[in-house]
Amino acid sequence: MKILIVEDEPKTGEYLRQGLSEAGFVVDLAQDGTDGLHLALQGEYDLVILDVMLPGLDGWQVLQSLRHRGLQMPVLFLTARDQLEDRVKGLELGADDYLVKPFSFAELLARVRTILRRGRSGNESTVLRVADLELDLLRRRVSRGGRRIRLTAKEFGLLELLMRRHGEVLPRSLIASQVWDMNFDSDTNVIEVAIRRLRAKIDEGHEVKLIHTVRGMGYVLEAPEEH
Amino acid sequence: MFRSLSLTTRLTLFFTLAAAAVVFGLALLVIAASERHFIELDHMALQDKQHLIEDILARSNSAEDAKWLLREALSHHHGLYVSVHDSKGETLFQSEGFRLPRELSPADEGNGNDALIHWADEGQAFRGMLVRVIPAYDATTRLDILVAMDTAHHTRFMLELRRTLMTYAVVTIVICGLLSWFAAYKGLAPLRAMKSRATTLTSQRLHQRMPVEAVPIEMADLAHELNKMLDRLEDAFTRLSEFSSNLAHELRTPLSNLLTQTQVALATRRDADTYREILASNAEELQRLGRMVSDMLFLAKAERGMMLPNRERFSAAEETHALIEFYEAVAEEKGVRLAQRGEGEIVGDRLMFRRALSNLLSNALRHTPPHGEVTIEISQSSQATRVSVENTGEDIDPRVLPRLFDRFYRADPSRSHPETDGAGLGLAITRAIMQTHGGSISVTSAQGRTRFCLEFPGGT
Repeated sequence: MKILIVEDEPKTGEYLRQGLSEAGFVVDLAQDGTDGLHLALQGEYDLVILDVMLPGLDGWQVLQSLRHRGLQMPVLFLTARDQLEDRVKGLELGADDYLVKPFSFAELLARVRTILRRGRSGNESTVLRVADLELDLLRRRVSRGGRRIRLTAKEFGLLELLMRRHGEVLPRSLIASQVWDMNFDSDTNVIEVAIRRLRAKIDEGHEVKLIHTVRGMGYVLEAPEEH
Repeated sequence: MFRSLSLTTRLTLFFTLAAAAVVFGLALLVIAASERHFIELDHMALQDKQHLIEDILARSNSAEDAKWLLREALSHHHGLYVSVHDSKGETLFQSEGFRLPRELSPADEGNGNDALIHWADEGQAFRGMLVRVIPAYDATTRLDILVAMDTAHHTRFMLELRRTLMTYAVVTIVICGLLSWFAAYKGLAPLRAMKSRATTLTSQRLHQRMPVEAVPIEMADLAHELNKMLDRLEDAFTRLSEFSSNLAHELRTPLSNLLTQTQVALATRRDADTYREILASNAEELQRLGRMVSDMLFLAKAERGMMLPNRERFSAAEETHALIEFYEAVAEEKGVRLAQRGEGEIVGDRLMFRRALSNLLSNALRHTPPHGEVTIEISQSSQATRVSVENTGEDIDPRVLPRLFDRFYRADPSRSHPETDGAGLGLAITRAIMQTHGGSISVTSAQGRTRFCLEFPGGT
C-alpha cells in the first residue's frame, strides 16, 4: 500500500512518514503543494494525506487538480483550522476524511486503515475468529475455546470491532465513535471500563490474553503469534 | 459649533444672555415710561397756559385790550412760547424770538383741540399745542393760539438717563457673566470629580467606583449606572484574567511534567521497556493537552458566535438512551443507578446535544456516591423542552453554583484528580452549546440532590 504525505512542517512530516512506514505502508513525503501534486500525478498512490495549509499550492488546490485529472484515490485532510467551513469545503471537494490538528497518531492510523479498507469489499464472513475466540455475527454468539460467553449488546459490538480490526491499535475515540456513536471527545474513562469488563469475560481464566492495552495509544486484540 | 462648546461656556453664555435680556428690557421700559411721563407733564403745563389764554381772550373786550392783557400775563414766562393770531394774519401776541413753524402758520381748521405737535427749529426742539378760539369781543374772527415749550432740558435728561442705564446694564451683564461662569464651574465640580475618578481606573484598579454619595442627585443616577457597568466589567475582567491564569496553569503543569520526565529519561541510558513506559506516559499527557486545546477552540468559536448548529428534529429520549448505554458500564462499576424518564423533542444539533448531556452525565457520575442514583428527566411544554440531570450526593455550596460554568472552574480547588476530572471545561462547553441553541442551563443543589437543567426553546 503506497501513501503520499504532503506536509510542510518538517517534524510532523517526518514522524508521519516513520510511523506509517513502521505500520507497513510505503510512504513518500512532499514538503509543498507543487511537489505533492507532481508526485501524486506520477506515482500510483492508494491514499494521499494532505495538509491544508501548504506553501505553493494549498491542500484544496492540490485536491482539485487531482480530481480534475481524473485521479480518484482517497484523500485524507489534515487541518489546523478547526472550522466548520473547512470541513464542508473539504468534503465537497471530494476528500474522504479529515483530521483536526492536534490529532493522535493512533487516530490517524486507524482512519487510514478505515479508508483503505473501504475500497475492498468481500470476505464478509459471518464468523470472526482470532485464536480460539469465535464471534458469530448471525447468531450473535461468542465463544472461546468452545465455551459460550454471554455479552451485552454493546460488549458484542465492541468485541466485533476489535476482532474485525485485530492486530490494529484502536484509539479510545475511535472505539467511542464506532461502538457508541459518540463522535466527540467524550469521557475516555468509559472506554476503559468497557474494555476492562470485556476483558474480564474474554480473557479471564485463559493462559493466552487476547485484549491488550497499548499505553498512550489505545487497545488491540491480537493473538500472540500475530505480533 | 455649539456642540463643541464646553458645558461651562454654554451655561455662562445662557445665563449672560438671560441677564442681558432682563436688564436691557428693564432699561427700555424705564426710558419709555420716563418719556411718556415727560410728555404728560408738558401736556398738562401747555393745557394750563392754553386755558389761561382762553380766559384772557374771553375776558378782554377788544383786540387792543386782549393784546395788553396777554403781554401782561405772558411776557415773563421763561421757556414758554406763545403766539396768537387772528384769521386775518394779525398778531395779537408773539413771544420774543419765537417763530411760527412754517407748516403750522396758516391756521389749520382740522387740528384737534389738544393734540401735541412737535417740531424743530434751528436746533431747538419744541412741543406745542394749537387751538382755535372765537374771542368774546368779536364773533366774526377766529384766533389761532399756539402754545409751545422748548424741550431741550427733557432731551438732555433723557440722554443722561439713557447713558446711566446703559452703563449700569453693561456692568451688570459683565458681573452676571462672571458670576454665572463661577456658578457653572462650581456646579460642574462633581463632573470633574467623576472624570478624575475615571482617569484613575485601569485594568489593575477596576475596583474604584464613582462617588455616588458625593455627587448631586441628578448625577447620582449616572454615577450609579456607571458603577453598575463597572461591576459588570470588573466581573468579566476578573473571569477573563482568572481564565488566562488558569489556562497558563493548566498548560504549565502538564508541560513541565512532560519536560521533566523526558529530560530525566534522557539523562541516563535505560532499557527499552522504561523508554516505552515514559513515552506512553508522555503520550497520555499530550493527549490530554490536545483535548484541552480543542475544547478551548470549541469554546472560543462558540463565544464568537461561529458555531452553527444543525437544525434537525430529534427525540431527546432516544439520544438520552444512547448516552445511558454509553455510561452504563461506568455507573454499574460505581454502583450508581441510571434512570431515564419522560419524552420530548428538540430542534437542534444532535451531536452537540449528546455532547452537552454527556458532560452533565459524566459530571453527575463523578460526584454521585456509591449506591446513589442519577436520573435524567425529559419534559416538554409549549415553549420549551427541558432535560434535567439529577444526582444524589453532597450539596454544592450555593456560593459556588453560579461559578460552576466558568471555564477551568473546579469546586475542589486542590485539583486533586486531574486524570478523572478532565480539564474543567465540560460545564463551560455545555453552557456554550446551550447558548448557541438559544437555550439555557441552570443548576440547583439542595437536600442531597444536585440538578442541572437544560432548556431548549421551541418545544412542540
